[in-house]
Amino acid sequence: MSGSGMTGVHGFREFNVLISKDVFFSCIDTLRPEYKVFGPVRDGNQTVFKEISSSADLFMDYSTTMLSPGKMFIYKPKEDMLKFRDDGTLSVAEVMTGVEKQVIVGIHPCDISAIFYLDRTFLGEFVDPFYKARRENTILIALNCMQVSENCFCSSVGTGPHLHIQSGYDVLLTDLGEDYLAEIKSEKGFEVFRVKGQETGPNEWSLKSEKEKSLLKSFKKIIDTRGLDELLMKNLDHPVWATTADERCLSCSNCVMVCPTCFCYNIVDEMSMDLKEITRFRQLDACQDLRFAEVHGGNFRSTRASRLRQFVIHNLNYTSQYGVTKTVGCGRCITWCPTNIDLTEMAKEVQRSRTY
Amino acid sequence: MKNPLIPFKAVITDIKLETTDIRTYSLLLRDAVYKTKPGQFNMVGYPGVGEAPISLSSVVCENRFQHTIKAVGRVTKFIERLREGDELFLRGPYGSSWPLESTIGKDILLIAGGLGIAPMRPVIQEILTKRNSFGNVTLIYGTRRPDTLLFKNELDVWRKDAMVLLAVDEVTPCTIWAYHVGLVTELLDKVSFNVEKTFAFICGPEIMMRFISRGLFLRGFLPSRVYVSLERRMKCGIGQCGHCQHGSKFVCKDGPVFLYKEVSRFPDSLL
Repeated sequence: MSGSGMTGVHGFREFNVLISKDVFFSCIDTLRPEYKVFGPVRDGNQTVFKEISSSADLFMDYSTTMLSPGKMFIYKPKEDMLKFRDDGTLSVAEVMTGVEKQVIVGIHPCDISAIFYLDRTFLGEFVDPFYKARRENTILIALNCMQVSENCFCSSVGTGPHLHIQSGYDVLLTDLGEDYLAEIKSEKGFEVFRVKGQETGPNEWSLKSEKEKSLLKSFKKIIDTRGLDELLMKNLDHPVWATTADERCLSCSNCVMVCPTCFCYNIVDEMSMDLKEITRFRQLDACQDLRFAEVHGGNFRSTRASRLRQFVIHNLNYTSQYGVTKTVGCGRCITWCPTNIDLTEMAKEVQRSRTY
Repeated sequence: MKNPLIPFKAVITDIKLETTDIRTYSLLLRDAVYKTKPGQFNMVGYPGVGEAPISLSSVVCENRFQHTIKAVGRVTKFIERLREGDELFLRGPYGSSWPLESTIGKDILLIAGGLGIAPMRPVIQEILTKRNSFGNVTLIYGTRRPDTLLFKNELDVWRKDAMVLLAVDEVTPCTIWAYHVGLVTELLDKVSFNVEKTFAFICGPEIMMRFISRGLFLRGFLPSRVYVSLERRMKCGIGQCGHCQHGSKFVCKDGPVFLYKEVSRFPDSLL
């Protein structure tokens, strides 16, 4: 697995405990100030991931959030990368600062899988030092889902509603009412949870698997991904792209911004008012933007249809890029599209018109 | 941990005007050992202005190399204002290269359109220095007009060791032009190839690469021997910023040089 290098010491053997929720939350409270702690917090009628000052802030029964924690606290939406100073001659100064240790609590399986996807981009052939430092200094506490939202389709792409990947994160929680079934997946996870819990018995495991089974029945959005790669590539001229784009797509980029696996960035140079210092930073960019694929003398994606198709195909196909599908089935791009464009519906339209 | 996005400085030792808006910059890198393979590119830029992906237009010799740049965008128009002795900020080399190792003992057909001759020039230089390692070498080079022809004074040198065929789209009045007027594809009929032992390297506008490649396949070329070099918008050059995303490939790190068959029939491309 992509995140396997992240789990620390080799030879760590995972183990499982049953911890009462009270003990779990008081344990979270002991983590500060050594760690910054982030988790789901109620904000109006939404839940957002933010830094907490007490475990009482946490709202663990959330359904979904607009933004995923991986793209807020590990891959930052905006990051200063370099500074240049002009003291007669222009020289490069690095901006890499000490990265604080942090814990993210209550990450749903789709968002954990999304972090593994970002790992493939930023810890691949070229390693991004900012991402790497944050990834290594972040403890990920995953939480299996308790409910299925309207646009969730993780069960169709194998990322949820329960997490079945065994490494690359630190703790996996399953809500069993009064207690959490805590699966400690790494040395780091063990370090922060040196609590006495009860041993787990067959009851807890069957309860867990029953919960998953009943959740699997409640998915309304289902997509058959078998053969989808090839089918989409054979249907690049399918009318669904142009029709959906022309009638509904606003090129607003909401889909890309809320997507937990969309990694594209732009690099911008900003000069100080005294013209002595230049900050080179990166910030999220979106393939829906007209200029995204523009070069001198042309634009490879000048039409809205081509940009929408890029988003949909990149999410559902291109598994040959990293060997996994980009989408984690979180459904955010559907939820936050102002005109209700649904990539699963577009794929289904292509599947329905399959001629062979 | 080293930040791969930190640029290094290279000093401009010479600027040669190729056409009204294309210049060849000779650069010297003082601090580090710098090696490239023909077909690779640098992210070339200046702090406060930005960076752009530009292919090397020469081989590297003792840390000296060249970039041939057309002033068309913010970065390249800024570079146009630089003079000898000024410095540029570079990162690289990045990307794949023309597979010259596999062509030892074989024939090579190079086809360039417009500024596409720039990433082809290091191949020509490399071939000429090891001329006996290769069989027949042919260069087909098309450009818009006689006055947009690049590396004019080198063509005669190249002709000594390779067959050079030139084409222009149009000839302006009162210009002497002794070569072909029309599409580069038309020149394919003026060359005979042994398709059993010929590799083709193509660089130019996608529409040209499409028709050249198809022309070659019609003439019996093997799909495993036809290479193209692609152009895309790039910000990072290291497979992260996503701008050059092309099908399942990143043009910056999987390319820019690809087998034609690897990248044909992708969305948003003419290949």
